Amino acid sequence: MDKTYRLEVNPDLEFKLSTSDISKTDIIKLSKSRYHVLHNNKSLITEVLEANFNAKSYTVKVNNNIYNININNDLDDLIKQMGFEVGATKLINEIKAPMPGLILDINVKIGQQVNEDDPLLILEAMKMENIITSPRDGIIKTISAVKGKAIDKNELLIEFE
Amino acid sequence: MDPKINTLNEKLQQAYLGGGEARIQKQHSKKKLTARERINYLLDEGSFEEIGALVTHRTKDFGMEKQIFYGDGVITGYGTIDGRLVYVFAQDFTVFGGSLSETHAEKICKIMDMAVNVGAPLIGLNDSGGARIQEGVRSLGGYADIFYRNVQASGVIPQISAIMGPCAGGAVYSPAMTDFTIMVQDTSYMFVTGPNVVKTVTNEEVTSEELGGASTHSVKSGVAHKTSANDAECLEDVKKLLSYLPQSNREKPSDLTFDLKDEIRESLSSIVPGNPNKPYDMHDVIEGIIDEDSFYEIHKDHAENILVGFARLGGKSIGIIANQPLFLAGVLDVNSSKKAARFVRFCDCFNIPMLVLEDVPGFLPGTDQEWNGIIVHGAKLLYAFSEATVPRITVITRKAYGGAYDVMNSKHIGADMNFAWPSAEIAVMGAKGAAEIIFKREIQSAENPEAKWKEKEAEYAKLFANPYSATERGFIDEVILPKDTRRKLLKAFSMLEDKKVNTPIRKHGNIPL
Amino acid sequence: MKKILVANRGEIAIRVMQTAKKMGIKTVAVFSEADRNAPHVRYADEAVCIGKAPSNQSYLLGKKIIEVAKSLAVDGIHPGYGFLSENADFAELCEDNNITFIGPRSKAIRIMGSKLAAKEAVKAYNIPMVPGIDEAITDVIKAKEIAKEIGFPILIKASAGGGGKGMRIVEKESELESQMNRAISEATSAFGDGSVFIEKYVTSPRHIEIQIMADSHGNVLHFFERECSIQRRHQKVVEEAPSSILTPELREKMGDAAIKVARSCDYLGAGTVEFLMDADHNFYFLEMNTRLQVEHPVSELISGVDLVELQILVARGEALPMQQEDLKINGHALELRVYAEDPLNNFLPSVGTLETYKLPTGEGIRVDNGFEEGMEVPIYYDPMLSKLITYGKTRNEAIQLMIKAIDNYHIVGVQTTLPFGRFVCEHEAFISGNFDTHFVKNYYSPEKLLKQHKEEAEIAAIIALKCYIEDQQLLRLPN
Repeated sequence: MDKTYRLEVNPDLEFKLSTSDISKTDIIKLSKSRYHVLHNNKSLITEVLEANFNAKSYTVKVNNNIYNININNDLDDLIKQMGFEVGATKLINEIKAPMPGLILDINVKIGQQVNEDDPLLILEAMKMENIITSPRDGIIKTISAVKGKAIDKNELLIEFE
Repeated sequence: MDPKINTLNEKLQQAYLGGGEARIQKQHSKKKLTARERINYLLDEGSFEEIGALVTHRTKDFGMEKQIFYGDGVITGYGTIDGRLVYVFAQDFTVFGGSLSETHAEKICKIMDMAVNVGAPLIGLNDSGGARIQEGVRSLGGYADIFYRNVQASGVIPQISAIMGPCAGGAVYSPAMTDFTIMVQDTSYMFVTGPNVVKTVTNEEVTSEELGGASTHSVKSGVAHKTSANDAECLEDVKKLLSYLPQSNREKPSDLTFDLKDEIRESLSSIVPGNPNKPYDMHDVIEGIIDEDSFYEIHKDHAENILVGFARLGGKSIGIIANQPLFLAGVLDVNSSKKAARFVRFCDCFNIPMLVLEDVPGFLPGTDQEWNGIIVHGAKLLYAFSEATVPRITVITRKAYGGAYDVMNSKHIGADMNFAWPSAEIAVMGAKGAAEIIFKREIQSAENPEAKWKEKEAEYAKLFANPYSATERGFIDEVILPKDTRRKLLKAFSMLEDKKVNTPIRKHGNIPL
Repeated sequence: MKKILVANRGEIAIRVMQTAKKMGIKTVAVFSEADRNAPHVRYADEAVCIGKAPSNQSYLLGKKIIEVAKSLAVDGIHPGYGFLSENADFAELCEDNNITFIGPRSKAIRIMGSKLAAKEAVKAYNIPMVPGIDEAITDVIKAKEIAKEIGFPILIKASAGGGGKGMRIVEKESELESQMNRAISEATSAFGDGSVFIEKYVTSPRHIEIQIMADSHGNVLHFFERECSIQRRHQKVVEEAPSSILTPELREKMGDAAIKVARSCDYLGAGTVEFLMDADHNFYFLEMNTRLQVEHPVSELISGVDLVELQILVARGEALPMQQEDLKINGHALELRVYAEDPLNNFLPSVGTLETYKLPTGEGIRVDNGFEEGMEVPIYYDPMLSKLITYGKTRNEAIQLMIKAIDNYHIVGVQTTLPFGRFVCEHEAFISGNFDTHFVKNYYSPEKLLKQHKEEAEIAAIIALKCYIEDQQLLRLPN
């Protein structure tokens, strides 16, 4: 039976593949985790770095690049389609710094109502101005960030009600 | 291909379709997964072995012999969750509305027996319209066979019920007797008698949701221990709950690996306010003590003046019972006593050590409480603690007044270690009330009774609003700094790992119910 | 010279100290609080913390560094590149304190540090320069005259600064006035000085520089050229020596010109004279960098010398141990600067920890490296991780070796310019030698890298699915 799967690679790519796609590709197993592929006559050595069967996630190295792959079957897609999100009841309440840097500007006040994608603050790192936007609608509960102060990665910046 | 194999495949394909494509679509349109989809999501990939896929009912009344569905409305079998063996049944709403028949019940009983004999958890995914009317008394008998087995299995293997659709009439008693009930929001409900009958008998107009939906049971009645937003989250909740529990009462829960460091938690020093009349959130204390993000709360929205749930301490699964000063000042009352008592007994059944965080000003006064039997319900909790032989440790963060001090796992009822923070106040009652009684004459005869009262209150507080009276008598083993609490507990629980207590031989005690 | 202090960090500090150690000279490292566990600190014999993480509170504190040098009886200070290497005041401070500055005299730094002074000094030697005017102007009429004289297209450049501000290309006379006005206003607001230079705009320019070394006995030698035309945002990413298009005659002419430039400012030590070459192989003097440059290793490999060793010899007052005729080009070297930048995201800095960091090794591969596995890429300094250099008997060999080295350079945790380097090495324009400083603009786009990325991703997905399907068949027991 030729089942189709939807594979997510790294953060931005998606492929729909089936078992016949596998048989169409010229693959030879070299060892437990290494495979040689002839694709469009190009010779590629690939290696499976990590395999998590239950979570359906694999990490594969092709040439010198590493790719993280999540495999989704029909049930996963059905669940996605039905809008079931696990942890849907848990809204993001904390905004933490995605990288170390300097707080250039804070655009909100405590008690202010914000909408998803509103700019919350501006973080400067390696001479780049990064705008941190809100992931949800909500009311600002606390602001730990201080304008002009340097912060570390993962430091708490803003909390929602 | 061999025609005999063809026959098998045809039958199996039919079984897999349950009530047919149309009914499956209808199930999906109601935002519910089918029974097979739920099992596939719940269990480890490829681990499910189905038992009784081709069982059919034997009824010939009411033309039932013309409607044969393989499986008879329930899918039963075993598989693994995170590599651990579990037994599972999932009622199939697409077949006869998931209604229970004699054979449907037989299938469930078969795996219940196996679960008890082997010693592995039983998970029930309930989604059923109730008894199959056409089967008459045979259906009732089927239910009873299940109930009996629920009880035989109770305290032997963990039993978890997920209510993922209707569960009405007699059917509700099975989940009620299992250890935990998790309901899915909006698509599930439980009640003994439905809104229609209620209307005819008592004239009350009420919807299914109001009468017995997830919110109702998680807030008002406490029948549901948790609610989940949807089917997928419900199954994740079941898996998470299971991770804290052992396979059976013959084992302890498995530990997660954990790298110990200095384990000092500075955040605990600033939680309890200086003013004893100001509340604080006991959740903060819990978070400050346990492994990060490991608290699995039970009965979150019911009897909020006490918190119960599972957590990890240094990778070890423990049960937590904690008064919550944010609600009703953390008093004990009918609902909180019942909530905590059942949780304590569950932990004791399954070798899960307990941590009690105490800040209780006493029992809630009032006719409502008294007339609803706070006496026996409070006694429930006292009994449950006293009876428990698993390691149990208490940390008093602030108040521990009166009878509630005794009840909340005090040294005298068998607690293994009793700690108190310097902010603890262990006394018969609050300083204000005590002063009023002890110095009654002095206050009444004083020039300024108000001021005198305040003076005597301060005097009393100085003497007794602290942990030292109790510590001097050895009722408290050690007064510790809040930031050291986690260190102390890690060592204490480790020390108590092999605790064994002999209990007198008896059939079972007579806990006030 | 018994003890040298290296006023720098990262790979160049280590590289300088390696040569010092080879010569039996003791080394002193300086470091900021963020660099306490940096490899250059551990490599040195002695090390002193000179301040907080930001450069202006540590590596740029000339006075502090002199203090440290004096307290540790340091004989010479090597400034590396960047930081204080072209700071004439710092060189003077060294001179005043009787510490040898391993580099040119402060006077030479000052002359070559100003565009005007440099052009003045060089004029007397008849060095070809980009046609244009020698003085900065603000008058549009005068600009029009000059532009007519030198011919379009012309380049308007702000006198007081750089970084592309106040810089404008004018193709036709009709645009001159408006572009001039805008350039002047931009320069005024950015630098406070609106005066601009007008010069001929060299189309298809190639950036070719000559490595020179001068001693205190009047000897000035050149160590051949480097081609540095693969740049993005005016910063070099791939350099090679020798250039693929220079003939021996051109090489001799440019070498001589470079030596003259060095003499014009009484130069001492290592320096680089930068030229621009147009499509007709005319070369024009751009500027002189009075320091050892990042890409010096490629010159070392083809000429067989250790430039840092020569710097130290010269600083000790010795004469250079070879003549110009003794120097010959042997083979071909290529260098890729490995920056922690994301080539798919406009080369923006990529922050993170080097979870995996394994260098390629092998014959012909040299890595001038400043990082180790597990280190975090600090946000305070230039994001260069290392220089990947390959050497082969021919240019093609060097290119192939570079591709192999890139494939064997394993970095996980940050994005780097390695995939970009591979793109360059595989591009026909680069391989054929037919490229100029517009290479990146003309040929590179993130989509090109993405396309290859996408192909590989699909293969990875197929492999993953294959493993998954196979895993499904395995029997797993419940107990």
